[in-house]
Amino acid sequence: MDIEISDIDKSFDDSGSRRIIFNRASARFPSGKISVIVGKSGVGKSSLLNLISGIDLPDKGFIQVGNHCISTMNDTARTLFRRRHIGFIYQFFNLIPVLTVLENVTLIAELDKVPQKTWRSQARTLLEQAGLWDRRHDFPETLSGGEQQRVAIVRALVNDPDLVLADEPTGNLDQETGAKIMEMITTLARKKNKTLIMVSHSPDAAAWADQMFSVDSRTLTPVDNDTHG
Amino acid sequence: MDNRPLMRFCLRHSRRHLVRTLLLIFGIAMGVAGVVAIDIARTSVGKSFDLSARSLVSRSTHQIAGTGLEIPQQVFAGLRTDLGIHRSAPVISRHVKVSELGDRIVTLLGVDPFSETHFRNLHLSPAELDLSGIMTGSRGVFISRSHARQYNLDIGTPLHIFLDSRRTTVTIAGFLDSENSAAARMLEGLVVTDISLAQEILEMGDYITRIDLILEGDGAAQKIRNFLTEGLFLVETDQQNAAVRGLSYSFETSLSAFSMLALFMGIFLIYNTVSFSVTRRHRLHGILRAIGATRSNIFFTVMTEVMVYAVIGSVFGVLLGILLGKGAVQAVIATVSEMYFPLTVSQTHISGFTIAKGLLAGILAAFVSGFFPALSAAGTRPVSLMHRTVSEKGFNRLVPGLFICGLLILAAAVLLMRTGTSHAGYDFTGLFMVFFGAALLTPLLIRVIVRILLAAGMGSLGMMVKMALRNITRSLRQTSVLMASLMVVTSVYIGIEVMTGSFRLSIIQWVDDHIGGDIHVSSADPLTQALDTDLVAKIRQLPQIESLSAYNIHPVFSRASGKVHLFSYRSDQSVKRWSWTAAPEEELDALMEEGWIFVSEIFAQRHHVMPGQGAAVTLETRKGPVIFPVAGIFRDFFMGGGRAVVSPGTMARYWGHDDITALQLFLTPGTPAEPVMETIRQMLDRQDMIEIRSGNTIKQSILAVFDNTFVITSALQVLTAIVALTGILNAVMALLLERTREIGILRACGTLTVQVRQLLLHECFFYGLISGIMAIPLGTALSWILIHIINQRSFGWTYDMVLTPGVFFQAIALSSAAALAAGIFPALAAGRTHIPTALHME
Repeated sequence: MDIEISDIDKSFDDSGSRRIIFNRASARFPSGKISVIVGKSGVGKSSLLNLISGIDLPDKGFIQVGNHCISTMNDTARTLFRRRHIGFIYQFFNLIPVLTVLENVTLIAELDKVPQKTWRSQARTLLEQAGLWDRRHDFPETLSGGEQQRVAIVRALVNDPDLVLADEPTGNLDQETGAKIMEMITTLARKKNKTLIMVSHSPDAAAWADQMFSVDSRTLTPVDNDTHG
Repeated sequence: MDNRPLMRFCLRHSRRHLVRTLLLIFGIAMGVAGVVAIDIARTSVGKSFDLSARSLVSRSTHQIAGTGLEIPQQVFAGLRTDLGIHRSAPVISRHVKVSELGDRIVTLLGVDPFSETHFRNLHLSPAELDLSGIMTGSRGVFISRSHARQYNLDIGTPLHIFLDSRRTTVTIAGFLDSENSAAARMLEGLVVTDISLAQEILEMGDYITRIDLILEGDGAAQKIRNFLTEGLFLVETDQQNAAVRGLSYSFETSLSAFSMLALFMGIFLIYNTVSFSVTRRHRLHGILRAIGATRSNIFFTVMTEVMVYAVIGSVFGVLLGILLGKGAVQAVIATVSEMYFPLTVSQTHISGFTIAKGLLAGILAAFVSGFFPALSAAGTRPVSLMHRTVSEKGFNRLVPGLFICGLLILAAAVLLMRTGTSHAGYDFTGLFMVFFGAALLTPLLIRVIVRILLAAGMGSLGMMVKMALRNITRSLRQTSVLMASLMVVTSVYIGIEVMTGSFRLSIIQWVDDHIGGDIHVSSADPLTQALDTDLVAKIRQLPQIESLSAYNIHPVFSRASGKVHLFSYRSDQSVKRWSWTAAPEEELDALMEEGWIFVSEIFAQRHHVMPGQGAAVTLETRKGPVIFPVAGIFRDFFMGGGRAVVSPGTMARYWGHDDITALQLFLTPGTPAEPVMETIRQMLDRQDMIEIRSGNTIKQSILAVFDNTFVITSALQVLTAIVALTGILNAVMALLLERTREIGILRACGTLTVQVRQLLLHECFFYGLISGIMAIPLGTALSWILIHIINQRSFGWTYDMVLTPGVFFQAIALSSAAALAAGIFPALAAGRTHIPTALHME
């Protein structure tokens, strides 16, 4: 699934004044590739993922995800599109505390009324790959940070999305665990031929990337992978 | 650290969350308003009763009264001529209705102008008039100046006075005036006229109600006692007034109980709102602690803010309570007038004590409510303050201990109320302990009920239902406060509903048993209450009549409660529910013939007759005070000081009545009542002296009177609903604020707006459902306390507690609906959650 960002503007109200994040920013993320977004804190890396996922809308411009122009859809259509085609991995895991590991993983499938046998086998396969099948009935608060992030990755991939967005997936983990998580994300993404867009501060991220962009001066600038790495 | 920056921060926080701050103030205000409104109703009844009674009081030290509540006028002449007692005054006093005064009940006071000077200072206007001026044959009466102004009446205006169904026309001769405002209020209850005109209006012939006396020393009193013939007796005025005052006191006690219920609800509501307000800033307090604020800084800041809002809320609450109270006073006074003693003066009394009580309730409840959360906020380590789960875990460890404490408090409450003392303070303390104890049980009960609901398959209804249920136990520290408050409010609804429902069923049963006749014929003649024997014989011979109850009723004087009613049955078809003091039921007739009497529950209460103990009461008879042994107590809702049933022989021997004053006619099946009533009317020479009413009419009017009794409880139920909604709305908003991040995650993962709203509404529904379930045992216990302790001690009557599943379903529906309604606004707001902002919230 190709992602095309065309001339987007985005600004926020910041205590009465407008803070411009993007000004005529454009980029293309090819299908099946791993793209890494880098940049300083507060420049709008997470906002970019929110825009691509339809969580937020640009003030101007278009965002094309596959054959769908997500920036022109209404809220319900964007939500359903996100549910069916996009998986999201967050820095702070963002698991639902009152749901068990398995319930967290299968939440979206259940909401989408996908038959149980369809998602159950997929969930089992992914949880076994993540080494968490034995802990499927545990609640998130009983898991370590690395385990929680692995659950979040499984949740993002369980409905077989075309696009996976990861917002600093290792930012809340130690280096060793972070490396394992990165390996897991990229391996799964490549194996399933997913388009992965990842925001990262990690200098190691370049090693996993097919292409890199820097958010700078309110635009998206391609970065030479070799020079960054 | 200086507290000022912290205070600034708190106030800014409150301004930024204005709706929740206003809800906190409103919550406190509603709690206080309930307390103040019912207290105003209670004190106003007392004040009106005092003014109504004092309007009849003179400077007399003693009064001469008759067993039949009337005495011959010649007794007064005898006192003056034979005994030379000049400081004496004949008095007629009777409640009448005056159409020109808005159909108000007033006391028609007939006095002798020449004897009055020693007893009352009646300031008349115009000044040149004196009471003798009304003896000119003009049928003149004096009414209060303020009433004349209020109803635009002037001298010479005709007034129509109604006594039962009879009407008399008199003319305003002048006004009663006083510069003292309290005295002027008192005069509003009076229409004063000359004694002879009063006798004419009331058709009393040569009879008067009483003789007022000013006596010095026991010698004069003894001389009078020796002078009085049978059927007359001398009483001390103070003693008589106290007996009358006691009538209203019981009603005021029951209002106190409802005032206490309102107070409990108010306290729970305030606790709910304040504790939510404090705990929702848990993280902020943690951050402040982490950057150097001391424990005392946090404690002082939290408490200062709570107390500022408590004062504002309490002041608003007092104002709102005054408004609500003023509305309730008229309804309550109408009830007292119907059931106990006609309140001729209605006074809305707002005492400083009531206001202080309301303010204190609000401020103290807010202090207690804020104190523990503030202490907890100040006393916990900053690192744990910043993580909500840590404080939840700490609370979860306390749950079993709270449950045990709750059980111990409930046990202590039961012991306190079983001590048998009749002191209302014990009952109210016991009631408070029941609420408090039950509230401490809630965390564990919630946990158990949620587990049962999940195990019963609720979880299989979908992920949203499962999440909603688990969210309740996850935030148990807060949800248990919310649900305990909702449980208390719902239990008050159940308690009142079961009490009124049971009472109404008992009344219907009693009315069917006692007023089962199809037609009732009774005397309306104030002079001779006996029905004409020829008329009775003619009625008895009517072919449509299958059977009849014939009895005589006479009001007689009792030192313990003023007026009581004596019944003797010639034939009785009624069914009575007995509790025996000294004898089994089969010996009833034999005991009656031996002179034993049977008394109603109200009579028993006023005369301190206890079931299961042999007892006797002293009644004034024509032969002086006589002690009668009491064989049994029967359940009875006949008001007016209670009644005693005696044999016809006893009635004739001691009170000289061997007549029939009323008949209950039972018609042959299928016979319509109206034609028979018309036939009886045609037998009468003077229709206004006999009252003929159908059994259905009487039943309906009795039920209407008793329904009025519970008008205050209905008001309390409305208050309950408002309290429930306000309390939950605030709490739900605070709880849902904590869910913002979770909502953001759900939305980001692809949960639709409508599904998020469903989740929150499910959660609110379960708050209501579980609270409703928990309220069932508490509400049942409360209704038992209201029926068997508070009502019995207040009114003297007992009735069976009738539990119907419908009440419980209604209560669960009420609490669920209230919680759902409270969740609508937060759910709508949650649907509009800005996902990126929510995702970055902690």
